[in-house]
Amino acid sequence: MSILSRVVAIARRKSPWICRLNAGSCNGCDIEITPLLSPRYDAEQLGIELHGTPKHADIVLISGTLTHRSRKAILDIYDQVPSPKAVVALGSCPASGNVFAGSPTVLNESLDTIVPVDVWVPGCPPRPQAILDGIARAAKLLEEGATRSQLARSLQGQQAQPQPQPAQPDLTQPELARCEQGRP
Amino acid sequence: MAMLKTVLANLLQPSRTRAPADMPPVPQTYRGALVHDAGRCTACGTCAFVCAPKAISFTQVPGISVSWHFFIGQCSFCGLCEQNCPTHAISLETAVPGVMNNAAGDGLRLESIIALKPCTRCGAAHVPLPESAMGSQWSEEEKGYCPECRRWAASAKLRSAFIPAETATPAASPALEGAGHD
Repeated sequence: MSILSRVVAIARRKSPWICRLNAGSCNGCDIEITPLLSPRYDAEQLGIELHGTPKHADIVLISGTLTHRSRKAILDIYDQVPSPKAVVALGSCPASGNVFAGSPTVLNESLDTIVPVDVWVPGCPPRPQAILDGIARAAKLLEEGATRSQLARSLQGQQAQPQPQPAQPDLTQPELARCEQGRP
Repeated sequence: MAMLKTVLANLLQPSRTRAPADMPPVPQTYRGALVHDAGRCTACGTCAFVCAPKAISFTQVPGISVSWHFFIGQCSFCGLCEQNCPTHAISLETAVPGVMNNAAGDGLRLESIIALKPCTRCGAAHVPLPESAMGSQWSEEEKGYCPECRRWAASAKLRSAFIPAETATPAASPALEGAGHD
């Protein structure tokens, strides 16, 4: 029975489809993604597929230095990804700006301040294997429901439930009654 | 027939695609994870000076320790710090830095603390030099000197080399000259 349930769990595991977003990268990280999808490194062994549109994706790979122009695009694309979603930051640039930090066109902040990042893949650029490892880790987080967006959502849900219950009607009703009494 | 041979040969081989954690062999000069050896570091600050993206920095607690900080999210793995470190305290390993979950601050940063030692002559706190950097020109006692006292000891040696020992003995034997840095 336990074997059967394990098989069911494996069968129900989602194939993490990815969407690549270049936020102002030097293309180093993007070049490392290409062999990742080729038979040599074979991302499809984990069910990973690259999709052009964020609306089909589960995991967003964000590479590159964050610029003032790309900030809005990142937010826009992140919002288009359907909800159980994870973000993987590739390389050093999203964390700090790397060698481009201090430039007037570059945002001098971590990607974390724009969208919740689940996995950081260090390297300049990271090796394809490291990227694959990062995506696998993000997929595992998605499976467990432990990505930061999912956790934030569940926290919001917990906070939203008790909020309507407390003595709101008790406070408002006398107010309303008083208002109605005061009316001519 | 040739095809059958290939099929049979491949049937017994393991899969040629690589698992995520399975790293292919890399050359010895591959610049991967950065490792710092606090025992060799002299806190000279050369690594922080040559680091283009400013990933390395130093902080200090006066009189107690100097800390070496490294933020991997700002490193471009150029290897300048390793090349320029005079005591080879920094080395870039062939191992790839690990992927990190949710580590805006903690997992991406390294810190190593270099404890200060009191000078054996004047007692001032200083970063001890590693054994390899001291060499054989210093005696056992002099190896615990702070930079100021080392300078003083070196000049005392130089003086005794030029001035004959008979004339020097009344005034300047290093032990009598006391704790002042002159």
